[in-house]
Amino acid sequence: MIVVSEVSKTYGRFGRRAQALAGISLEVRRGETVGLIGPNGAGKTTLLSCLLGFLRPDRGTVRVAGLPPDDLAIRAMTGYMPERLGFDRDLTGAAFLSHHWRLAGGDPRETAREVAAAAARVGLEGGVLLRRLAGYSRGMLQRIGVAQAMLRDPMLLFLDEPASGTDPLGVAVVRDRILEAKARGATIVLNSHQLPEVERVCDRVVFLSGGRVTQSQALRGPASARRASIRVPADRVAAASAALSREGVAAQTMPDGTLAFPIAGEEDLARAVKALALADVPVLDARSTADLEDMFRAGGGA
Amino acid sequence: MIEMVRRFLRQRFGSPAMATALGVLALLTAIQAAVSPDAERALATGFLSIVLIAAGSVSRDASSGALQMILARPIRRTSYLFGRYVGILAAYGAFLVGTCGLTVMLATVLPRTFGMASGGIPAAALARGMAAALLNASLFASILLFFSTFLRGYADVLGYILLSIALQVVPGLARTLHKPWLATAGDELRHNVLPEVEWSEVLQGRHALAEPTGQFVLAVVIFLTLAALIFSRREFSYGRD
Repeated sequence: MIVVSEVSKTYGRFGRRAQALAGISLEVRRGETVGLIGPNGAGKTTLLSCLLGFLRPDRGTVRVAGLPPDDLAIRAMTGYMPERLGFDRDLTGAAFLSHHWRLAGGDPRETAREVAAAAARVGLEGGVLLRRLAGYSRGMLQRIGVAQAMLRDPMLLFLDEPASGTDPLGVAVVRDRILEAKARGATIVLNSHQLPEVERVCDRVVFLSGGRVTQSQALRGPASARRASIRVPADRVAAASAALSREGVAAQTMPDGTLAFPIAGEEDLARAVKALALADVPVLDARSTADLEDMFRAGGGA
Repeated sequence: MIEMVRRFLRQRFGSPAMATALGVLALLTAIQAAVSPDAERALATGFLSIVLIAAGSVSRDASSGALQMILARPIRRTSYLFGRYVGILAAYGAFLVGTCGLTVMLATVLPRTFGMASGGIPAAALARGMAAALLNASLFASILLFFSTFLRGYADVLGYILLSIALQVVPGLARTLHKPWLATAGDELRHNVLPEVEWSEVLQGRHALAEPTGQFVLAVVIFLTLAALIFSRREFSYGRD
């Protein structure tokens, strides 16, 4: 769906040049959700700007569905949410969404209904939509930003820190909308520092550092970096290990007594818990993690 | 493009501060037009209002990030740009209609209140004043739009002022330095870049096809074309990495 080939981008002129992207190559498959991760200054925003066609690479190419990213056919199926919503603050929430509905090519007769539905999906209802954006909190702005990006169910989504500044409920709402888009087959590029959220929604993470891709790591599927850890009572660790072994799971016993093993997805964890239950081993805690934070600390394999 | 025009009008009249400023300017212009013996000219010289309406029309959108959100939609850059241009003229047109309404009202009220002689304002003079103001605004807006495509914030107004000063100063300076060729070139440039048309005459059917009218149309077309060329090539980053 998205093919980035050897893209380089440098800002500034003469003696004050700064290379933001240094020959990045990247591919995002149709229906895949990819998280861009990296420290500040890694080139994530520049890469997103290139993917959206706002910036032109100095070298290399960006193709979306075989077309340049600023092709109107691509725009028609794109939803985009910037990190900070800098839109006309004198607009009401309803006017803002209506404007974007019409810009996205929505049927003007459906505007009121679609706007109300989009706002309701992010938990903004009733009088809130009649208030001016200037009076919105950061969390509300993020929610309405997500709502505008999701208008007309785009098949291509670029989201920049969508849950930044939102409360836990807002984070969950944003996550649900992303998962919803993912379920209907949308291709999603997510730029976020909220690693647990990235871990929950992304199929793959791409680490950027110094304008380069340093690592691309699957979070779902056979090549997943995801690991499960299961805690059982201390006197049942051996029994648990044996039960998992019978299921073909080679679990490692950690110093704190938990059993850790690689998984391809949540369903593998569920199978392991079921096996333990059948072996009459009580499960005190079971979770899966991709250890993104550890990877982030390690510089994404840089 | 209609959506762009609609948004521009909403931006200019939806902001309480902007609406108040335009209201005050409309009132001042109307008072001037109502008491002036030449209402037509008084209406045609409302420079500050068009500055207020047209300043930073593209650059402010770019710096706020609103432009990037719009350009992520299936909208041609030229549709956005010309939507802003038409929006400026539509907003200024609405301002002028409001000002004319106030002028007519004040022309009736003021003489009664202050015991002034009431001559009334001919509707044709008001219409000509409005049309002249709008035509002058069409060039001014195209120049501001041109500067706004590559300058930041309200620097487009500064660009216009510097351009006007340069076009005034160059011929005089050339004469002082005894460079007649430069003085002629400067004069020609000024007449072509900032042509002055007697719209009152033209609108009454006189000298409609005179040289300044052609220069005016050409200048508008050139500034809009340059604006479109620059804007369609310009890059927009929406933040920092």
